[in-house]
Amino acid sequence: MLVFALKRLGLVVLVTLTVSLLSFSLLFMSGDPASAIAGENASASDIEAIRTLYGFDRPFLVQYGDWLSGALRGDFGQSYYFKLPVSTLIADRLSVTMLLGVCGISFALLTAVPLGVVAAMRPNSFIDRAALFLSVMGQAMPSFWFGLVLIVIFSIQLNWLPPSGSSGWQNFIMPTVVLGYYAMPAIMRLTRAGMLEVLGADYIRTARAKGASEMRVMFKHALRNAIVPVVSLAAVQMGFMLGGSIVVESIFALHGAGYLAWESIARNDLPTVQALILIFSCFYIIFTFLSDLANAWLDPRIRVG
Amino acid sequence: MGTVSPAAEEIRAPSPAALLRRRIFGHYGLVFGITVLFIIILIALFAPLLAGHDPYSQDLLARMKPPFWMNGSDPDHILGTDHLGRDYLARLLYGARISLAIGFIAALISGLIGTAMGVAAGYFGGRVDLVVTFLINVRLAMPVVLVALAVVAILGGSLHVVVTVLGLLLWDRFAVVMRSSVLQVRDLEYVNAAKAIGCSTRRIILSEIMPNIVNNLIVVATLEMAHAILLEAALSFLGLGVQPPTPSWGLMISEGKQMMLFEPWLIAIPGIALFILVLAINLLGDGLRDVTAPENRG
Amino acid sequence: MAVMMTGGEAMADKASDTLKAAFTKELESVDSYFNSAREGVILQRTIWDGLIYLNQATGKYEGNLATSWKWVDDTTLEFKLREGVTFHNGEEFDADDVVFTVNFVADPANGVVTQRNVNWMKEATKVDKYTVRIVTKGPFPAALEYLAGPVSIYPNEYYAEVGPKGMGLKPVGTGPYQVESVEPGKHFVLKKFDGYHDGPKGKATIGTVDIRTIPDVNTQLAELFSGGLDFIWGVPSDQAEKLAATGRFNVVNESTMRVGYLELDAAGRSGTDNPVTKLAVRQAINHAIDRQAIVDNLLKGKSKIVNAACFSSQFGCEQDVAAYDYDPEKAKALLAEAGYPDGFAIDLYAYRDRAYAEAMLAYLAEVGITANLKYLQYSALRDLRRNGETSMSFQSWGSYSVNDVSAITSEFFKHGAEDFARDDEVKAWLDTADTSIDPAVREENYSKALRKIADQAYWVPLFSYNSNYVFSKELEYTPTSDEVVRFFHARWN
Repeated sequence: MLVFALKRLGLVVLVTLTVSLLSFSLLFMSGDPASAIAGENASASDIEAIRTLYGFDRPFLVQYGDWLSGALRGDFGQSYYFKLPVSTLIADRLSVTMLLGVCGISFALLTAVPLGVVAAMRPNSFIDRAALFLSVMGQAMPSFWFGLVLIVIFSIQLNWLPPSGSSGWQNFIMPTVVLGYYAMPAIMRLTRAGMLEVLGADYIRTARAKGASEMRVMFKHALRNAIVPVVSLAAVQMGFMLGGSIVVESIFALHGAGYLAWESIARNDLPTVQALILIFSCFYIIFTFLSDLANAWLDPRIRVG
Repeated sequence: MGTVSPAAEEIRAPSPAALLRRRIFGHYGLVFGITVLFIIILIALFAPLLAGHDPYSQDLLARMKPPFWMNGSDPDHILGTDHLGRDYLARLLYGARISLAIGFIAALISGLIGTAMGVAAGYFGGRVDLVVTFLINVRLAMPVVLVALAVVAILGGSLHVVVTVLGLLLWDRFAVVMRSSVLQVRDLEYVNAAKAIGCSTRRIILSEIMPNIVNNLIVVATLEMAHAILLEAALSFLGLGVQPPTPSWGLMISEGKQMMLFEPWLIAIPGIALFILVLAINLLGDGLRDVTAPENRG
Repeated sequence: MAVMMTGGEAMADKASDTLKAAFTKELESVDSYFNSAREGVILQRTIWDGLIYLNQATGKYEGNLATSWKWVDDTTLEFKLREGVTFHNGEEFDADDVVFTVNFVADPANGVVTQRNVNWMKEATKVDKYTVRIVTKGPFPAALEYLAGPVSIYPNEYYAEVGPKGMGLKPVGTGPYQVESVEPGKHFVLKKFDGYHDGPKGKATIGTVDIRTIPDVNTQLAELFSGGLDFIWGVPSDQAEKLAATGRFNVVNESTMRVGYLELDAAGRSGTDNPVTKLAVRQAINHAIDRQAIVDNLLKGKSKIVNAACFSSQFGCEQDVAAYDYDPEKAKALLAEAGYPDGFAIDLYAYRDRAYAEAMLAYLAEVGITANLKYLQYSALRDLRRNGETSMSFQSWGSYSVNDVSAITSEFFKHGAEDFARDDEVKAWLDTADTSIDPAVREENYSKALRKIADQAYWVPLFSYNSNYVFSKELEYTPTSDEVVRFFHARWN
């Protein structure tokens, strides 16, 4: 187990380093960063001064090394736009995104897992088809459009929910549904498939034969086994979601990290964009790492392989 | 199936082709997907004949005319007009071209990259596999929307840029699926036989391995096509996709959003079109998977 | 989590004495010298005061932090300061604050972002506790306009201690509202300053102003409908018409000083073979676009066609210049004359008002000019323009609400990085006008410059903008044409 974990950790470090290199090179794709910082009224000599001040005249790898060592200490440099440390800015907004991610994945799990179980209990029944229909819809629905439709219905027509902001729990209902619905289909399908497979296994037949109630069979015996891959999928989806919240946050004007990313891209505020790409990547990497470990813990066959 | 004895099945077994046909036509999702997608492709091909209007010609005096089911509609503009008085139906029909082209080309680019990587990893194994697996991990770790937005913002939005960026970002699933598919077939007898008689690696991959994994390739390609179409719409919606006046459905939603509280049909029409297209492609992909490998349904 | 702790929002209404408004843009810093946004100007006028005040109703200057002033010579202004004024933090206002503020912002090393607002000042000197002199770098006739506008006075002790960064997070001024809290870019809460002096702005009447950043106008409207906001502005004309029709809100239209124009690279900075270096082509583009139709159908409200390269109310804005009417046939003939009978392809750069740009694309297409829209962020486009890489771009300029031609025409036609005409004669006239303190001399020279700009069709002047203000029926507010929202003039009815 330890060897497995260490190997995985090595991979995690390598992937993180590569991602950091890629996100850092974004800065150099975009032309002259010095002119971007200097702003509206800068003269050529101002720009030159900024170039030396920020060290843009040094070799690429030296600058990358500098940035990386800063990033390791949680220092991502200064935002061009706000002239504040990027880490302060992000720390301020990350809580909204995290909260949204947790709500979204919880919503997805709470709807998808029961649906998947029920669908597997009665394959090809009306409820199975309805569940499948819901998941097919979820995959095809553009999330930005779904969000707008919810706003029109629940904020404008019914006036039940606030359309924007992040000040109370009501603000999170629609974004949660939109974000969660995006992750739901995959989880539902996996739950259903896992349940179908498990239900065919011997020990379920044994449990049934012993006269255990259907509910008990389903939730005590079957789901417990079918849920393992679902949990690891959920972890991966959670990583995706944090990166995908950019669309949802911009629709509902939630001042989270995704929204900050969008605005920073529009403002050419590259240090913030770089840091956010790296941070979102790290979330994904950490979540997959944890789910790998959890899987290996639960299923010894993986560890050996 | 379980009740039919093996012997009886043998006697009444129809030809494989007939069986496949029956499976396809018995699969409502697949039939629906194929039909709708076919219709949309026809619409895209014959847009100039069907539209009746130039999607770019504006009439500032006839802005935001409502569609046929609402009061004050103009019979000349069945789906109304947009904020510059352009015919909404014409833009919708031409928009099908944009969405299909983006989905198709992006899936093609990512399919080439992903398949090459996946097949190489699966066939050669060892270091190649390690490198490819590593690259897949790196790619998966990058937040797609964010990276696509950042790159498009830097390079400037246009159809070419968006398609290329999406193509370069969406190869991961191809690589994953192709790699595991090749792993499944590479040690089968006929592949070993081909190796034994001294066929070139190229020949083995192209004529022995590829035909056996092309089913999976098509399934992934449809799903990625749908994915690319949705992403393009999201990028255009955020203002960093294709440029106006191109009639992209995402752009239409983005422009209609300005008036969505008062004229909700402006976002409803392109939104539903987008939904139906993606739904059809997804159903096609799901259906193909079910039909070619029924045991995988789920 | 922290987000949940802040609890429910106070209801935005008269009963709670809280006015809820929205900004469209994330403001980079509240310190007015370190942002260049309209939102920043609004906060600046609310939190701080200038030495003088421009009464929007009468168009006359009145004393604010100064009570009187006079030109001692061509480059020296002397002010008598108001006594008994205190800053929000209790610091007393006197000559030291003026001297410190002026000397700080006038020093380029301190990096004020809006240099044009301050770089005309050389220094300030203290005469006595309540008398101060401001010295300009040369004769600068628009000085009072700037002192009534963007130049506001900061508390010297506090500013020396916290600097622009601290001022941005916890602003302190003498203005009618003091800042209760700032979440950078997101949320600003202002409270009425009870100790406000008896200045011409008058005391605020509404207790709390709560401003959130909501970038999307549509989301702002949704909030307005659901009661989460009660004051928004900059609402596009289509939505404003619909809102007015509901009868639930006050909808007021007011013109602004912002002018839209196409900037044509007559000087050939983007390449000497570029079609718009030819006069006939520039005139053709002027004739090709139906500006009246764009104004009538897209901008609406109090917008008007513009013919001179300035806004009509600005001092020196000559109206008697060549005007190009909409005439596509003439445009085609001019193109043929210039050697482009089949038109040509060109990139049209734009950074705002995509719909207007799209409308112009269609008009250009009708005369055979294929324009490809390149829609960029403002800063990205500005970089391209400063490098002289754009041959045609759709620009707009609000003159920082300075009611003088020097704030627009001189900005773009004096061979700066954003001058695509590079006309020596125009520059000479503008130089003369900008540095003379004789109004007649100024008017005459601005007129010459503007006539030549129109004759040569260096720009395609398009239209003036307007702004729609939409607010709750419980509120009373009269917008002004300088696009500055004055919360201290809003009241519950």
